Amino acid sequence: MSKLTINIDGKEVQAKSGDTILETALAAGKYIPHLCYCPGLKPEALCRLCLVEMADGELITSCRVPVVRGMVIKTKSPAIDRAVRPTVELLIKYHHERCAGCPASGHCELQTVMSHLKIDRKRVRRLRPPPAKRPIDVMNRCFDYDPNRCILCGICIRTCEAIHGESLLYYIGRGHETKVAFYGDEKKCETCLKCVERCPVGTLLAKNLIEAK
Amino acid sequence: MPEKLRTILVCQGTGCISGGAGQLQEALSAELTLQKLNAVAEIKHTGCHGFCQRGPLVVIEPEGIFYTKVTQNDVPDILHSLRPGAPLVERLLYYDTVINQPIKSFHDVPFYYKQQRLVLRNCGVINPENIDDYLDAGGYKALRKALAMKPEEIIKEVKDSGLRGLGGAGFPTGRKWEAASQSPGNVKYIICNGDEGDPGAFQDRSVLEGDPHSVIEGMIIAGYAIGAHHGYAYVRNEYPFAVHRLGVAIEQARQRGYLGKNILGSKFNFDVEIFQGAGAFVCGESTALVLSIEGKRGMPRSLPRPRTTEVGLWGKPTVLNNVKTYANIPLIINNGAAWFASRGTEKSKGTAIFSLTGKVVNSGLIEVVMGTRLREIIFDIGGGIPGGRAFKAVQTGGPSGGCLPAEMLNMPVDFDSLTSAGSMMGSGGMVVMDQDTCMVDIARYFLDFTQRESCGQCIPCRIGTKQMFDILDSIIKGRGKPGDIDLLLELGHSIKESSLCALGQSAPNPVLSTIRYFRDEYEAHIFEGHCPAGVCTHCL
Ligand SMILES: Cc1cc2nc3c(=O)[nH]c(=O)nc-3n(C[C@H](O)[C@H](O)[C@H](O)COP(=O)(O)O)c2cc1C
Ligand code: SF4
Repeated sequence: MSKLTINIDGKEVQAKSGDTILETALAAGKYIPHLCYCPGLKPEALCRLCLVEMADGELITSCRVPVVRGMVIKTKSPAIDRAVRPTVELLIKYHHERCAGCPASGHCELQTVMSHLKIDRKRVRRLRPPPAKRPIDVMNRCFDYDPNRCILCGICIRTCEAIHGESLLYYIGRGHETKVAFYGDEKKCETCLKCVERCPVGTLLAKNLIEAK
Repeated sequence: MPEKLRTILVCQGTGCISGGAGQLQEALSAELTLQKLNAVAEIKHTGCHGFCQRGPLVVIEPEGIFYTKVTQNDVPDILHSLRPGAPLVERLLYYDTVINQPIKSFHDVPFYYKQQRLVLRNCGVINPENIDDYLDAGGYKALRKALAMKPEEIIKEVKDSGLRGLGGAGFPTGRKWEAASQSPGNVKYIICNGDEGDPGAFQDRSVLEGDPHSVIEGMIIAGYAIGAHHGYAYVRNEYPFAVHRLGVAIEQARQRGYLGKNILGSKFNFDVEIFQGAGAFVCGESTALVLSIEGKRGMPRSLPRPRTTEVGLWGKPTVLNNVKTYANIPLIINNGAAWFASRGTEKSKGTAIFSLTGKVVNSGLIEVVMGTRLREIIFDIGGGIPGGRAFKAVQTGGPSGGCLPAEMLNMPVDFDSLTSAGSMMGSGGMVVMDQDTCMVDIARYFLDFTQRESCGQCIPCRIGTKQMFDILDSIIKGRGKPGDIDLLLELGHSIKESSLCALGQSAPNPVLSTIRYFRDEYEAHIFEGHCPAGVCTHCL
């Protein structure tokens, strides 16, 4: 694969053609906030956090844009901040659970995003509270799904699709009530637990983990 | 049999049907036989005639005698009036309060004569379930002409006409067709977008109900132009009459050889199939609509992505246009690009169709040339605000459009002017508001719709619109907080900038535009606990 360079935040960075901006930045140790990107899966740009600013000022989702020789991008700018920060604040406000006691704490992508953006709790407190908590889905024999922690990154759905051809997990509902569910297909689950493994937060949890807690 | 002297047109648009037009027509038929007038007049049912508010409507041709709010009790009098020398049924005529006189023919009613009904030319005039009516009105002539042209010539004609898509984005139709025609592959598709999920909108439904053949004809011509042989008409489930009449029209077009193999003796094959959508607003978005036809959940796909004209339905090059966009095509082919381009403004050609509703004297389905001023639409065609109340704002473009104040009434209605004012053309909703409307409450109403219709896949739209709705809800309940206006602006900006599809990207418009033009109303609610319009009962 041919090599090329792009400019990220004023620094020349080596890139492989075919890689996306996000992949290139991450490989170069340059973090860009992201929640729905997962190596090996088709990027869908659902979380909208990986916005970067192009030379012409346009904001684009870096997970879906392949690098082009000579590209100049910024990962931090007032425009990016205005677009992305409120999204993260909303996500935190709607994330019902506390980190203490969450099995994902310490390797949670949402925590990484929060600390990278230095989220100000005061700004989060301005927001109206989320709707009531929803019950945990315990349908699967090997893992549970907690809609109150779910960020709807879709990684579990795309993982299931990639491994089994067609995903047994689906989105159901609309608006803020959207969640992920088996929709009656839980018996077909081969319990490979890849979806649980890749969950970037503490939404999908293997059952023994919960009991051990 | 002698030539029938009169035709009694009974509007069977959804509005008139809900007012009892079905039974009215039956009563007219029965009475016609009873009064032995079958030789004098025939009864014909039509699609929407436009002036829905005065329905059920009956028009007697050739004079265009226009009876409004007709009930079954009026049937004997109407038929009696057909006898030589008999007077008109004056109580049913449209009464013009400006000249204080009843008006005999609809051609003279201000609601109609200020309009230019090009796309709607057949709506309310022909029987949509009788292809001969469409043929008598010049139907399928454009198809015959198009089949004698080269596909490139058709595309050039559509490009030169300046027609822009009427589904919302206003993308140049000719360029879209050109892109699809140049995409490689033998299998291509045509899709007609009849999702029309906006609350209160009925333009596309009315065209499908009133003149389905014009849409089919446009789709066939599009198919021939790009080399597609199959078309899908995506119509929402909630539109039973539209689905039925389109189905009848497709069947009749097949029988007469306008659809199917070797159309009109040419080598061109094309057929259309109806796809009934589940009625989600977001399924009107092009990529979601394509997924929906493929049997998947209708979720928009993020940019950057290949255009639908390259990778569309089942991965094939696809042209997706709005109902009204297709209905324009026969006009352009018949009359030529120059004829079409002579109407409208420099960048918006042809006509715009609106569902005019809200606090306006004459509501209904209207068509005006692009560039007509808002004032002419609301005050001349719409007859102004009822009850001597004052005009406050007009909202265009459906749930994601903006609210424009009285200062903007002189603005010409076209794609670019509306967008620059913070609203949009959308698919053609137009809601008029009077002095008794609370702008915060209106913003809340639209946000309530979008937050529920958000497909839920991207964070800013899913949570952001809900949060905006919650803030607006607390403001109208007297629980607004000092920083709320800034917070709404911040959120609105972020949602517009970062959402995945145009639903989220435009959802904050009602809030941002009402803050831009009616900020004092927000402040009155938040700081004084007072609703200036007297609507929000918690704020007095
Ligand atoms: C949320 C959403 C809903 C939409 N709904 C419709 C619709 O009901 N009808 C329509 O024609 N276009 C709708 N559109 C616009 C379509 O994506 C597309 O631009 C249009 O159908 C293209 O046709 P045109 O070029 O003839 O306008 C919608 C877009 C969005 C983002
Ligand atoms: S903007 Fe809203 S409707 Fe569009 S993809 Fe995002 S969540 Fe779905």
